[in-house]
Amino acid sequence: MINAYLPNLAIIKKIIRETHNTNTYMLEFFDKQLQTSFSCTPGQFMMYSVFGAGESAISLSDINNNDITATIRNVGSVTNTILNMKEGDSIGIRGPYGTGWPLDKAKGKNVLIIAGGMGIAPLRGAITHIKNQRNNFGHLEIIYGARTPGDMIFKYEFEKWRQIKNSRLDLTADTIPANTPFECKAGLVTSCFPSMKTQHKNAIVLLCGPEIMMRYAAKCLETIGFKDDQIYLSLERRMKCGIGKCGHCQIGLKYVCKDGPVFNYTDIKPFIHPL
Amino acid sequence: MKALIIEKNSMNILLERFLEEYRVFGPTKPGSDSTFDEIKSIEQLHLDYISTVLPPKKFFLPPNETLFSFNIKNGKFTTKEIRPDEKILILGIHPCDVHALLKLDKFFSGDFNDLYYQNRRKNSAIIALNCVEPSEHSFCRSLGTGPFLNEGYDILLTDVGTNYLIEIGTSTGKRLVKGLNLTNASEEDFHEKERRLKLMEKKFKKSMNISWLPKIARENLDHDIWFDLGERGGVAGSFPCLSCGSCTFVCPTCYCYEVYDAVDLSLKSGTRNRELDSCQLLEYAEVALGGNFRRDRKDRIHHWMLCKFGAAAGGKNSSCVGCGRCIRVCPSKIDITEVAKALRRG
Ligand SMILES: Cc1cc2nc3c(=O)[nH]c(=O)nc-3n(C[C@H](O)[C@H](O)[C@H](O)COP(=O)(O)OP(=O)(O)OC[C@H]3O[C@@H](n4cnc5c(N)ncnc54)[C@H](O)[C@@H]3O)c2cc1C
Ligand code: FES
Repeated sequence: MINAYLPNLAIIKKIIRETHNTNTYMLEFFDKQLQTSFSCTPGQFMMYSVFGAGESAISLSDINNNDITATIRNVGSVTNTILNMKEGDSIGIRGPYGTGWPLDKAKGKNVLIIAGGMGIAPLRGAITHIKNQRNNFGHLEIIYGARTPGDMIFKYEFEKWRQIKNSRLDLTADTIPANTPFECKAGLVTSCFPSMKTQHKNAIVLLCGPEIMMRYAAKCLETIGFKDDQIYLSLERRMKCGIGKCGHCQIGLKYVCKDGPVFNYTDIKPFIHPL
Repeated sequence: MKALIIEKNSMNILLERFLEEYRVFGPTKPGSDSTFDEIKSIEQLHLDYISTVLPPKKFFLPPNETLFSFNIKNGKFTTKEIRPDEKILILGIHPCDVHALLKLDKFFSGDFNDLYYQNRRKNSAIIALNCVEPSEHSFCRSLGTGPFLNEGYDILLTDVGTNYLIEIGTSTGKRLVKGLNLTNASEEDFHEKERRLKLMEKKFKKSMNISWLPKIARENLDHDIWFDLGERGGVAGSFPCLSCGSCTFVCPTCYCYEVYDAVDLSLKSGTRNRELDSCQLLEYAEVALGGNFRRDRKDRIHHWMLCKFGAAAGGKNSSCVGCGRCIRVCPSKIDITEVAKALRRG
């Protein structure tokens, strides 16, 4: 039987610098067979091992068949070590784990994607999926906010997203330092709502960001007619195993690693950040 | 197979048989409290115990264990699994603790298998002992997890006076008593077992009714009780929770663990380990950059109680077995059965 705790060796094939503290990594399992049999859905995550520092849960930040993509922000011991790694270095990974975005349920619907900060990482795969199967979905609207324009990741994707047929991209930053040559609004994610095109009828919302931002976004959506069960959000909790055993990620009755990280808002509303 | 009996002062016959195949662990009494420890000779065994400080969970989910070792060579990592393979026998384990193991069995299997726990269980034998004297804190009867056992044992012992009644649960149990030349049990022995069960059932001082409690506790997050337990004066004569985590460490069904790496001085090799953790400790739900999803004590005690009422993990796995250990060790005198009653009153 396979030992679920054992990480598999993977090689960092390519690193893309996103911001001063965030990189995107393209990885490949050392074991070719593992790589060819690997499959995942957008919204799932993997456990990244830095031996000596520990393990961290990191979302798959895109989907394609050739490699495993992760976008990692340096916030502590594991992520700091990863940020100092170079192309060709090896790292331990296991997964994918968790539920992904409900892309089957989204079929035929208008999709509203709202992301704050690093929250765009697990959502990029969903955007790619919708782009690849454009006729299966209705209007696509992406609202992405970051603290400053300099904190935005995937900037090289924005033009491509704008060109997706029947779609709209709105960018916003909480504060914009003087002389920043970047085109986006100033304000919180919710400040983009008045110009939002998506209406509640036949729509589905995919939401990821800091918990307080998700609460406010959901609250604003309610006021314009969205029902809780139209909203899906991806949660973050301390994770130590990723497979529903260590207990750390529990929220009410659920395990974020196993029953989530993507939840329907109705199911977890009472347990997340109160407004 | 027919049931057998063994004279209490001939228990060494059984023990010696067990020792041929297994490392044996059973209740001992090194001081004023009983504890599960290795038994090498009959003098160490104290089967007439009421409860132990720590549950026998420690033999299957040790407080601390190594999962695997790792090694760095030429920039590449290799890992080496460590799999427990020792044969152990738990002698004299009470019904509540057996039920706790049955719950852990479910929890550590499912979509993902925890091979460390599972291997230990697979290599173990359970010689259970029915309870004839409840502790002042236990309430297994009200939860259906005691005082007598119907499942989960290889061999089941019941004190029927000068003898133990021996009932066999599995082929392992059968093998273990084969050829020992023990007397067959009589109908009177079973009558005596029945009589003692009836007697025992009258002795319980505590009880807990958990039906609907997960729903009540879930839907009423702002119930006064959680504020009372966490911050203010306590419930039913208790003091407020100190978040010491004692309840979780003595609980036979608490399984939460923390994972950490240990590196040796060369910085080239080390081990990944796990140790029991407690949801009552502040660090338990802490994330990077100082975030914490259960910063308040009331949220932590609510979380634990909800888990013990049977709501955590989707309501499938963890829950209380009524051993009463948490009540016994709580420095604030918090009594889960009283909390349950107060919640029920609304
Ligand atoms: C489902 C999920 C998806 C995630 N996706 C991404 C992503 O795509 N990119 C990214 O940069 N970050 C992501 N995170 C957050 C990332 O897991 C943490 O930033 C990271 O674990 C911090 O580890 P550290 O060792 O650097 O920090 P430290 O503060 O040193 O943390 C020590 C340990 O605590 C645990 N821990 C601390 N913070 C978190 C946290 N926020 N979530 C879970 N465990 C934590 C980890 O086990 C970590 O190793 C995700 C978290 C979850 C739960
Ligand atoms: S991360 Fe361990 S239970 Fe979810």
